[in-house]
Amino acid sequence: MREQCFMKAVFHGVLAEDVVFPFPELGAEERENLELMLDSVRRFLATKVDAAAIDKRHEIGAEVLAEAKALGLFGLQIAGEHGGLGLSATAYSRVMQEVGAHDASLAVTLGAHQSIGLKAILLYGTAEQKRRFLPSLASGERVAAFALTEPVAGSDAAAIKTRADLAPDGSHYVLNGSKLWITNGGFADVFTVFARTSDFETQKPKLTAFLVERGEGVRHGPNEHKLGIRGSSTTSVYFDDVKVPVANVVGEVGRGFRVAMEVLNSGRLGLAAGCTGSCRALVKLAVERVQERHAFGRRIGEFGLIKDKIALMLAQTYALESATYLTTGLVDAGVTDYSLESAICKVFGSETLWWVVNETLQIAAGIGYMGDYPYERMLRDARINLIFEGTNEILRCFIALAGMAGPGQKLAEVARAMREPIKGFGLLRDFAIGKARSMLVPERLTRAHPVLSREAVIVEEFTAILARHVENTLRKHGRDIAEMQYVQRRVADTAIDLYALSACIARATRAIEKHGEEGARRPIEWTRIFGALARKRLKHNADEFEANDDELRKESAARAYGDGGYVLDIL
Amino acid sequence: MKILVPLKRVADPDNANKVKIPADGSRIETTGLEWKPNPFDEYALEAALRLTEDGKAPKVRAGEVVVVTFGPAETDTTLRAALATGADRAIRVECKDEELDGLVVARALAKLVETEKPDLVLLGKQAVDGDTNQVGQILAELLDWPMATFAATIREEAGGLLVGREVDGGVYSVRVKFPAVVTGDLRIVNAQSVYSLKTDKAFKYADGVRFAALPAIMQARKKPLLVKKLAELAAGAPVARYLKYEAPPQRKAGIKVKDVDELVSRLKNEAKVL
Ligand SMILES: Cc1cc2nc3c(=O)[nH]c(=O)nc-3n(C[C@H](O)[C@H](O)[C@H](O)COP(=O)(O)OP(=O)(O)OC[C@H]3O[C@@H](n4cnc5c(N)ncnc54)[C@H](O)[C@@H]3O)c2cc1C
Repeated sequence: MREQCFMKAVFHGVLAEDVVFPFPELGAEERENLELMLDSVRRFLATKVDAAAIDKRHEIGAEVLAEAKALGLFGLQIAGEHGGLGLSATAYSRVMQEVGAHDASLAVTLGAHQSIGLKAILLYGTAEQKRRFLPSLASGERVAAFALTEPVAGSDAAAIKTRADLAPDGSHYVLNGSKLWITNGGFADVFTVFARTSDFETQKPKLTAFLVERGEGVRHGPNEHKLGIRGSSTTSVYFDDVKVPVANVVGEVGRGFRVAMEVLNSGRLGLAAGCTGSCRALVKLAVERVQERHAFGRRIGEFGLIKDKIALMLAQTYALESATYLTTGLVDAGVTDYSLESAICKVFGSETLWWVVNETLQIAAGIGYMGDYPYERMLRDARINLIFEGTNEILRCFIALAGMAGPGQKLAEVARAMREPIKGFGLLRDFAIGKARSMLVPERLTRAHPVLSREAVIVEEFTAILARHVENTLRKHGRDIAEMQYVQRRVADTAIDLYALSACIARATRAIEKHGEEGARRPIEWTRIFGALARKRLKHNADEFEANDDELRKESAARAYGDGGYVLDIL
Repeated sequence: MKILVPLKRVADPDNANKVKIPADGSRIETTGLEWKPNPFDEYALEAALRLTEDGKAPKVRAGEVVVVTFGPAETDTTLRAALATGADRAIRVECKDEELDGLVVARALAKLVETEKPDLVLLGKQAVDGDTNQVGQILAELLDWPMATFAATIREEAGGLLVGREVDGGVYSVRVKFPAVVTGDLRIVNAQSVYSLKTDKAFKYADGVRFAALPAIMQARKKPLLVKKLAELAAGAPVARYLKYEAPPQRKAGIKVKDVDELVSRLKNEAKVL
């Protein structure tokens, strides 16, 4: 069996290596365009965007936004016929990487506009909706936002209370409700709003996505004070009896949950690219700092513990970059189901960045903590990535359950299985039966360069182990898997490492083929370092499939809920 | 006004330490180098764009800027970057780096001038790789045109330019009539350095060179890019042959002196500067 989607096949114990080899590459023309664009973007960022000032002022400023619009940064992925640049997923992500490296507030603002705000129009919009909305969004004359979260519905998006009722004459919906923490909420003109269109009392929740233009009945609250990305606008948005024409329904009525999930799937890649950019910027800061700062008569960069941090930063940044651009390459090659891969990139990207920023701050030590240097701002800015566009916990559950549910199954159904485990039973049992194939012969990564055979074996070995555990777990627990989050986490972490390491190997292999082993020294080294790291985690997770203290931990937590916290004392 | 701006790509000057010479000294190793437009050429292009517009409405072009470079196909990138920033047309003179020196380039440019008939050839004062600083001067000589080198300011006048050159202790102003050759210095891209007749004298540019908006980069592919052969333009021109390349000698580590006496003695006896 060969799947288009790499990770879903991995859950079957299959290594669809033709999906990841050769590592994707841009064509000459696109590459040149992108290089020229990045040159402009870098000049813009260097001369106009002062990240420290943006953080202090809590706003990017109208002038900088106007220049970003004039540069074309608001229409990156919108097609040329609608006034945008029509960039591929790879080129888009690469531009977002550059912005993310320089200023997270601007990256988040741009991402909220086009990674998620207007994405529903690109994915599901009718020709008429595209004509009506995209040109002004591409030029930045209007700004978009994505409005899903509500006070009572964060991770549990299907629980939203905002509702839209069809007017008796069928011409429009009447929208009522409030949304929370909406990026760009303070100035957006077009909101992709998710509202319930099914009856609250009698029906299952059915969501619908609407394109809501700022106007009568649309208000926003004050800008929230935040830990980081302070220059981005985060506000509540209120809808009071807002009339939304039927023509502004995007996607099908009642299919809004799927619209939201697909938008986030693709949005997560932009987020991972931004994290990649930040990691690269941090590695540069760290490498400069350790060669400057002296202690005990030496540059701190000469100490083993510092070198270790640098080496691990390099390897992980390389792994993140490889996983991200492998995925965007798959998207550009026409793979339509990349939901697992993009969720992996989001979790891996945000956590890699969090690790890298923490270690960089540690290297900078005292000055790292001080407001006059960029480290503490970058640390604050980085933190959001683990929370929004799906928390990393929710995404781990998603990676595990969607992976285990097997190919062909819809995201919304998996989510339902999570929400309503009982109803998800049928699907999951079907899967367990469908998976009754033996995994006696591990699949091979035959296209990996021999220099990386040790790393290839790690992927082969743990893919077989993952598939075996998935099968055993499903046979043993069936529907209960939906409630087994410890197992889900192990499965997800295994999947993340397998994907990232496969990406490293594919990219290093390409580098060796092009530049020889000597010319590919860095990717080879970093693949080895990352491979060894990943192997430890994979082994740990594999062991815990067999023996763990999951139940003990759960009991301990439950007891604390009764205790009201930590009740021991030394007295 | 029609302006011809020659552009050269150079090895990234910020990464000069990447320039490697093989042990036999036969050449400079160019693989793996990152190429950048020569900064002075970028300044010349910026000045040319300023001379062919009203600073307040730069999208409306008044005049024509033609950029030209010498090199293999990959140097098209340099031209496309210039087209994206506002140049109207581009010409690439197909050749290898070894076929070029200042005189060959100046001869080929002189030949191009015959067909292009620009009012002005605006060049950077030098390329930051070879630093020879001679193409503009040789070209003016070959064409027998008036020349102003190291321009820090340019004001368009009826039928010519008033060029300010910074010299020790002041500014030396040169008035040239078209057609002319001008080479530009660093300060040519300051906010108030260059004014066309159309631009209001109170107008201030942003310091530095403009950069291309992203849509313009896509559109640059639609602008004309003509390829010519070096042999057609500089037939039979002799070219300087480089016999051997050598990296500059490594600097020796400095020393610390104990006191002023030692310093004076070393300056006298070893450095022999006192
Ligand atoms: C700066 C910022 C900008 C934002 N921008 C936008 C935006 O533009 N548009 C938008 O719609 N939203 C936006 N959000 C909202 C964001 O997406 C949510 O905060 C996020 O989805 C988490 O929801 P929550 O905060 O309500 O946490 P909750 O859902 O309440 O979760 C709390 C904790 O419980 C965990 N948890 C929840 N459910 C489970 C489960 N089933 N299993 C295990 N763990 C679970 C979570 O992982 C988390 O750790 C933004 C948030 C912030 C902070």
